[in-house]
Amino acid sequence: MMRSLHVDGDSFLHRLQPGVKLTALAIVSLCLFTIQTPAVLAIAAIIGLAGHCMLRISPRQIWLRLRPFALIVVVVALFTAILNSPGEGLTAFFRLAALALFASLVTATTTTGDFIDVITRAALPLERIGLVRAQDVGLSIGLVIRFVPEIVSRYEAIRDAHHARGLKLNPISVAVPLIITTLRSADEIASAIDARGIRRQK
Amino acid sequence: MSTRDLVLSALFAAIIVALGLVPPIMLGFIPVPITAQSLGVMLAGVVLGAKRGMISVLLVLVLAAIGLPVLSGGRGGLAVFMAPTTGYLIGWVFTALITGYLSQVMVGRDQSGLVQTVNFFIAALCGGVVVLYGFGIVYLALVTGMGFTQAFLGSMAFIPGDVIKALIAALAGRAVMVGYPLLPQRA
Repeated sequence: MMRSLHVDGDSFLHRLQPGVKLTALAIVSLCLFTIQTPAVLAIAAIIGLAGHCMLRISPRQIWLRLRPFALIVVVVALFTAILNSPGEGLTAFFRLAALALFASLVTATTTTGDFIDVITRAALPLERIGLVRAQDVGLSIGLVIRFVPEIVSRYEAIRDAHHARGLKLNPISVAVPLIITTLRSADEIASAIDARGIRRQK
Repeated sequence: MSTRDLVLSALFAAIIVALGLVPPIMLGFIPVPITAQSLGVMLAGVVLGAKRGMISVLLVLVLAAIGLPVLSGGRGGLAVFMAPTTGYLIGWVFTALITGYLSQVMVGRDQSGLVQTVNFFIAALCGGVVVLYGFGIVYLALVTGMGFTQAFLGSMAFIPGDVIKALIAALAGRAVMVGYPLLPQRA
């Protein structure tokens, strides 16, 4: 149901440290915002696209990855071109395309586990000042992934109950039972977590 | 943070993700389908209050950032944070925070049902429309270099839909409060 956007492989980008990749992405993004020449931005976008070709996935799969962003990038570029000037539209198009391509590349070459490690490490300084517990990050992410399929099947049960009674689906009559039945299980889940001592108490 | 609060936040994050997976629901009186995910963000504030609501939205964004396709339409990955519409995602965090805070302050157990619903609606409207579009439009204008007026004009078409969602969030929030109250109340 929820397949990660990670692509297996052993390219240079796969082997790079996740922290290095994220820092590089941040620096590259900042640079892209300071560059105003469409030609340079176009070269950056082409490099990003070439990176996707190195992932050894079919062009169709590359398109499926980029499709969610393609529309918004084109719409914003057109909007800028019409309201401001065609030149600015072109700059916006290549800049936004390059940003999306580089970000998508980091996502494709980094596993979910690596990301969680990076976040947990980043949360350690916050733990020292008592804001969060670093280990809670991984626990919460695991809980969400574990319960999404269950909530979807609850939604399906509510939908079937509507059909059985000849009722049309309505956002309120779906959301309210979905929220109440789901959140009611919070106490049991919390007791189960505490009984296993997963969150060591201070 | 107690384990129960952590579990409630995680469960609500899972609800928001699940709402992005189910097909959009049609309302009877308007021909536009309601994408339930942004409704879920307002509901997080209305049902759980400021702190837990905000954490559940943050969790959804973390899941998206680490490459899971948890946003509606199967979107996910770092690219969603590098898009012209990223301001709306950042705005979600504050939607939940402000909606939750205002709900906690304005809605009381001893009020009549109508007053509770109206107060929830005002809270959802402030968080889910004023704050959300504030972040979305400023980000869009700054990142793309199009002016603020243009960014506002481009976003305006979506505002009526979010006003309707705020109303749905208010009605659902009040119904959840009657059935299973979780909103932290003013002493």
